Amino acid sequence: MEKNRYAFWFLGTVALGIAALMGFNWAVGAYILNHPAGASVQTLAGFERALKPVWLAQIRPELVFVGSSRVRDGFDPVLIDPALKVKSFNYGASSMTPYEARRFAQDALAQPSVKQVVVSLDAFTGNGGPGEALPSFDETRLAVTPDGAPTQRRALWLFTTRFLSGGALGMNALSVYALARLKTHETAADRPDIFNAYSHMTGAVMQRDLAYRRTRTLTMGSGPAREFSTLLASACDANARLILFFPPDHMAIQARYREGDAAALDAFKQTVRNTVARHNARCASKVVMFDFLGPNTLTTEALRDGRSASYVDLVHFRPPAGLWLLEKMGVGLPRLR
Amino acid sequence: MPFNSYPYFIFLAAAVLGYWLLENRTLTGRRVFLLLASYAFYAWWRADFLLLLMGSTLVNYMIGREIELRRARQADRRIFLIGGLIFNLGLIALFKYQTLFVTTASDLLNIGLPVSEFFLPLAISFFTFEQISYLVDADTGKTRNYSLLDYALFVAYFPHLIAGPIVRHNDLIPQFVAKRTARANDLAAGITLFTIGLAKKTLIADNLAPFADTIFNAAGRGTALGLTDSWLGTLFFSFQIYFDFSAYSDMALGSAVMLGIRLPVNFHSPYKATSIIEFWRRWHISLSAFLRDYLYIPLGGNRGSRARRYLNLFITMLLGGLWHGASWTFMLWGGLHGLYLAINHAFRHVTKGVTPPAIWRLPLHVLSVLLTFAATSLAWIVFRAQDLASARNVAGGLLGLGDSAIVSFSPLAAVTLALLFAIVWWMPNSMQIMWRHNPALPSPYARDPVTPASRLAWQPTRLQACAYGLLCIVAILALSNLKPFIYFQF
Repeated sequence: MEKNRYAFWFLGTVALGIAALMGFNWAVGAYILNHPAGASVQTLAGFERALKPVWLAQIRPELVFVGSSRVRDGFDPVLIDPALKVKSFNYGASSMTPYEARRFAQDALAQPSVKQVVVSLDAFTGNGGPGEALPSFDETRLAVTPDGAPTQRRALWLFTTRFLSGGALGMNALSVYALARLKTHETAADRPDIFNAYSHMTGAVMQRDLAYRRTRTLTMGSGPAREFSTLLASACDANARLILFFPPDHMAIQARYREGDAAALDAFKQTVRNTVARHNARCASKVVMFDFLGPNTLTTEALRDGRSASYVDLVHFRPPAGLWLLEKMGVGLPRLR
Repeated sequence: MPFNSYPYFIFLAAAVLGYWLLENRTLTGRRVFLLLASYAFYAWWRADFLLLLMGSTLVNYMIGREIELRRARQADRRIFLIGGLIFNLGLIALFKYQTLFVTTASDLLNIGLPVSEFFLPLAISFFTFEQISYLVDADTGKTRNYSLLDYALFVAYFPHLIAGPIVRHNDLIPQFVAKRTARANDLAAGITLFTIGLAKKTLIADNLAPFADTIFNAAGRGTALGLTDSWLGTLFFSFQIYFDFSAYSDMALGSAVMLGIRLPVNFHSPYKATSIIEFWRRWHISLSAFLRDYLYIPLGGNRGSRARRYLNLFITMLLGGLWHGASWTFMLWGGLHGLYLAINHAFRHVTKGVTPPAIWRLPLHVLSVLLTFAATSLAWIVFRAQDLASARNVAGGLLGLGDSAIVSFSPLAAVTLALLFAIVWWMPNSMQIMWRHNPALPSPYARDPVTPASRLAWQPTRLQACAYGLLCIVAILALSNLKPFIYFQF
């Protein structure tokens, strides 16, 4: 074969493949955005880090939730938006590192449409170091750099992520598969077999969780503390209000945390409180903080044979519980705006 | 502009197209076009440092020309050579090493010297070394009165500008004016080599990086690493840097081939080496050849006593280590390799004339490869570690001195490692796959030449075109996460 024919076949294959990829991502993206239950895909696990920054820029929400899988599972815009009369966005991702949490929150704060950013504080626990992130996290998709400067050529990175990335392909495929399985008038809440965030904890899940998390506790190392301080510094002059909350892990697991290292858990809470107090004393944009990591209606729910109305497992609360939390926090109400 | 980015793909396509249009019309025009493209490529990163690159080029060209003229007149030219060396080494010392030296002196003497933080200009180590070689060669009569245009293009030619290969003027400049006859062949071979490199980067190196980073970052925070963490971290980084640098070299050479230019072979399956001496004939070949010709030989090379030779080797590698970055960890890495090389040469001297029985050849070969891999992997620890304390943490973990459990030796990790070993030890490398189609200038080490692959060799068939096209798409899918090449920092 002549070499110029080789180049023709090579480039033709690449061009066709890219065209197919872009076409699929474009069509599925439009389908998700226009589907009545489309926003519920934000509670799905898998490739969230890749596509959620693109969705954030596309959706232009007023209210954003940032945090680990607790947040990803617990806040469904399909449920929240009509109840609170806001346009919300779930920016949660599995195993979010403290650095990622800070950066995603910075990204949310930098969006002109955003009025409130709700952050779950468990994302700032552990011993994560500076810059530590999971493989599919990418700085270039976020509105600002770690120093707060606008990201250069971001439109290009968002475009390539949206149309040409494996993460977008994976998340879009997952989302369209989930939505396509919903029958007419069905919502994510009707299909916990597809949307795991709506499933109910069982006895087996509870026992597995108790064993899995038996040696864990919520501690805040120096790295996460530094990321948390940096986040608050970013929020000092932000137009959007930052709202923090200690997540409502069930008392059964909180007891394990206390058995593991009660002092470290208390120190985590105290560090957060002190940092917030310092921030509020010097910044125009005040931070509001709520503590659900203690006895309350959710965390003291009686678990009969491990079955729960509010939890997927001992730390992941279901979207109706997420809505209850937001109402307790007064999120979306005029007084917080 | 990183090679693994969409802007570079667009830039490369435009550069190839523009060059093709000008190629047979105007000899000067195509070189001017390439030079402007190369400057645009550099300016994409930071336009202000383009002035530094241009200034450095102009000063070196003028000094080089003066040396050539004085050589022709048999006049004294030492002052110009020394001045040129001081200029280049001063530039690199100012931007790259000033902070390290001042901070160290300040700490040692406890005198609180003021430290000026300079932003490190991209590629300064590479273009400075290339220009030093030009000045030295001008002094020894190996240069040929190049025009400023050719010289500037030699320094700035974008496929090698950022991270090598370190190119010699006499390898590159004659190609700028040569007429090529097989453009379609160049395009086919170039896009294939580029695709292999892109796939190595996005599908392998970038997926190993997070695991190596997590472990080395933990060591940097003072965590005493456990046995599994240390071994996995070390192995993953050894493979990450292998595929990262190999990928970069393929993409650089592939880009150049599309424009009809051959750069020197820079990477030739270094983990197949049976000794450290051989490792350096296969890893970053252009750097080791540069260090040999412009540092080791001027230091005395293998003239003089054996002890002197080993000392020369050690000094050469120590400085070669420091060339990588302004950190004592790089110097220690270079020192370790200097020590390895000295031991390797001493061992060869002791065992000279000893021929093992035929039955022992295969086991000894396997043992040699394993030992070389272990030695280089051990050295990578100090190369990757943030500081000496974290290097100690990782090395201690290899002996089971720590107790962390950041990662576990899962079946997936075992399969991954088995696959990686299989690729680096048994598969032909990209140079071998492409060798019949002239993808690069031959290795300067005649003892370790690249030989064409007997299996998996590239053929310009329709099937292979579609297969490499699909590989390109898969590599592009993984590209969304922009991770710079490790060698871009040097």
